Amino acid sequence: MADVTALEVELVQDGPIPLAARFACRTGELLALVGPSGSGKTTILRAVAGLYRPRHALVRCHGEVWTDSARGVHLPPQRRRAGLVFQDYALFPHLSAQGNVETALGHLPRPERPGRARELLRRVHLEGLEARRPHALSGGQKQRVALARALAREPRVLLLDEPFSAVDQVTRRRLQRQLVLLRQRLPVPTILVTHDLEEAARLADRICVLHHGRTLQTGPPSEILNRPISAQVARLVDLGNIFEGEVAGHRPEAGHTLLRWHGHLLEARLRREIAVGSRVAWVIPPGFVVMHRRDRPSRGERENPVRGRIEELVAFGETTNVTMLVDGAPAPTLHFTVSTHAARRNRLAPGVEVRVSLLAEGIHLMP
Amino acid sequence: MPPATTRRRLLLAASGVLLAPPARAATTPIVAAASVLQFALPEIADRFRRAGGPRIRLVFGSSGNFYRQILQGAPYALFLSADEDYVLRLAERRRAPDPGVIYAVGRIVLFAPKGSPLEVDAELDGLERALRRGEIRRFAIANPEHAPYGKRAEEALRHRRLWDLLRPRLVLGENVAQAAQFAVSGSAQGGILARALAAAPTLRDRGRYAPIPSRWHAPLRQRMVLLRPEDETARRFFAHLRSPDSADLLRRHGLDPPDRSG
Amino acid sequence: MDWEALRLSLELALWTCLLLLPAGTLLARALRSLRPGPRRLIGALVALPLVLPPTVLGYYLLVLMGRASPLGGLYEKLTGGSLVFSFEGLVAASLVFNLPFAVQPLERAFAAIPRNLREAAAVSGLSPVAIFFRIELPLAWPGVLAAFALVFAHTLGEFGVVLMVGGAIPGETRTIAIAIYDRVQALDEAAAGIMSASLLAISFATIALVYLFEPGRRRDG
Repeated sequence: MADVTALEVELVQDGPIPLAARFACRTGELLALVGPSGSGKTTILRAVAGLYRPRHALVRCHGEVWTDSARGVHLPPQRRRAGLVFQDYALFPHLSAQGNVETALGHLPRPERPGRARELLRRVHLEGLEARRPHALSGGQKQRVALARALAREPRVLLLDEPFSAVDQVTRRRLQRQLVLLRQRLPVPTILVTHDLEEAARLADRICVLHHGRTLQTGPPSEILNRPISAQVARLVDLGNIFEGEVAGHRPEAGHTLLRWHGHLLEARLRREIAVGSRVAWVIPPGFVVMHRRDRPSRGERENPVRGRIEELVAFGETTNVTMLVDGAPAPTLHFTVSTHAARRNRLAPGVEVRVSLLAEGIHLMP
Repeated sequence: MPPATTRRRLLLAASGVLLAPPARAATTPIVAAASVLQFALPEIADRFRRAGGPRIRLVFGSSGNFYRQILQGAPYALFLSADEDYVLRLAERRRAPDPGVIYAVGRIVLFAPKGSPLEVDAELDGLERALRRGEIRRFAIANPEHAPYGKRAEEALRHRRLWDLLRPRLVLGENVAQAAQFAVSGSAQGGILARALAAAPTLRDRGRYAPIPSRWHAPLRQRMVLLRPEDETARRFFAHLRSPDSADLLRRHGLDPPDRSG
Repeated sequence: MDWEALRLSLELALWTCLLLLPAGTLLARALRSLRPGPRRLIGALVALPLVLPPTVLGYYLLVLMGRASPLGGLYEKLTGGSLVFSFEGLVAASLVFNLPFAVQPLERAFAAIPRNLREAAAVSGLSPVAIFFRIELPLAWPGVLAAFALVFAHTLGEFGVVLMVGGAIPGETRTIAIAIYDRVQALDEAAAGIMSASLLAISFATIALVYLFEPGRRRDG
């Protein structure tokens, strides 16, 4: 992955759709825009494609200025080389799959277009279906035609608007895999809009979290999911264990910051810059909560031991989601997961007493 | 939304097309004739053709209507009115080069279609009887506003003091030919029409008629005028209309020749 | 059978379609890109000929095109002829009284095309003109056909305005509708009957065309 910035985007306006988005995308990178519906994700994509003009906008692709509201520059979509896959594919109903792809091949001499279109369709595994009209194609097939059409223009940036939302799970997995394989050969910067966090985490190199048109945090999935910069972001990425505590002190030599929480004194990752005595929100992803086996007595030196009672158990196949009421008043709720097998072995049930360890490296403070 | 330049170009092209339909060559002169001449004039025109005259086009309607159209610039070469007034007014307003000539004198008749209870007689006694008996539901005349024959019908009815009685029953034809059509269609029990129409073969077998005394109304001196004297064909036809042959034909159709004083 | 009158009617109908369909299409598309307020106002203006009595239309057209008017005067200066009582005047009048019959089905047809299809075409590199001819027109053609048929049939049947503006001049403005009226007045019922039956047959065939295509779903919907 080269670290050349391929796409720079800055969009600001108060209304009708509020925007305060700023992000960049590198060559070969897939940036996912995530956020709840109405957070302006599609609007941002359309602005990059040239279909929407925010009041203040700056879009630069590979150095070429596509939009610069300050200087009154706004290249129409035809003059940009952006490939856009619409949420509902927007295939031309009166043209075949091949015809659809050919519309985007205007930059090639006419005799070359059919062959190129067929090649693109082959690349998305649609050979044999070139003559089919959209109404005779399945959702997954339509999506691939849309993708082929977007790629036909040899775009400098690929924009995908919830491309997998309208298909079933199996097809979605397959399409996601095909996208990954395709991108291995085409290092075009890609922006993927999705409300599915899991999908974003699986596909994206970096995630950009949006809320009401404002970019809150941009970073690799692990960073977003484990170290959100604010409680708001934590909530947006559906991290359940968001709490409040007080910084009791720092132990730089041990690499810890001490956190007072509901009568417990926890050791968190060192954050020297946070003032002692300040109240701070903090989060621990479920993966950093480790349950103690019930049949073996707990050893005191375990990290951040916490005791409590199981409130709820929900088994999802191989994994069981556990909701635990931690001792203390008021009793905070902690979420974590165990394998269903372990849940059975430890005879977990609502009301049963359990002990967990909160791993220090997972405790993330959000001042 | 297409850029402004493309839209402007398309608009210009469209307006160019709008201004360009081909002009139709109109060399054949048009003769505007009062509808009373509906049957007589085609015959005269036919004679004209057979005598070697070039083609002319005939249009029939009410004299008042033609008067209005000529004022608005209608391209008629020759106008045969059913009375004098319209022609004289045109000359007055310089829309006609001269006051023209009287070519015939018309008569009105009381007409009753077959099967009507109306008895026709010159004194209109039968009409009065039928009216008082309530047998007249509908009575057709031409519109007095712009059809000379209608105006004379009104005058005659007023003279005979039947106008107010008849008024609620009237069906007004746009011109006297339409009035004839109403009268014949059977939906009217009678009407006052031009003699030239009632006597025509088409109507003769469809009803009975009686001429109304001409002293009961202003005379129907019918005037015609050559509106485009520069048009040779029109000039020739105009002359043909004044020939004894034409006068004869008109008389046979029920239109008297102009009297000495005309 | 007055062949000249029939020919005049057909010519008038064809010229009207030829001129009004492109103009109507432009107007329909322009209307769509307006904000709701102006769009509804202009839409109402366009729809006026639907509800106005032909005599009112005829009256105002006479005022607009008559010799004394600026338009009529200009025409006379350019061509030496008058707009009223001429075939060209009929064409002009026909464009006005047929406006809603063209614009409304065209507008519906273009409005039915989803916006994102035009956007997809733009992003794929098609110029606005190309988008119109390659994407919009092929998808809107049933509406174009409906507009054509409606305008054609309506023009064939138009009477009041044609009579007022044209004057029933044979070979120039006496369309078949007027010829029928004329024959009835001349008590020539046979001729009137033949011409009426012919006009009925042509109008029915034209309208049947509309119904054949308008409610039908395209198979590639």
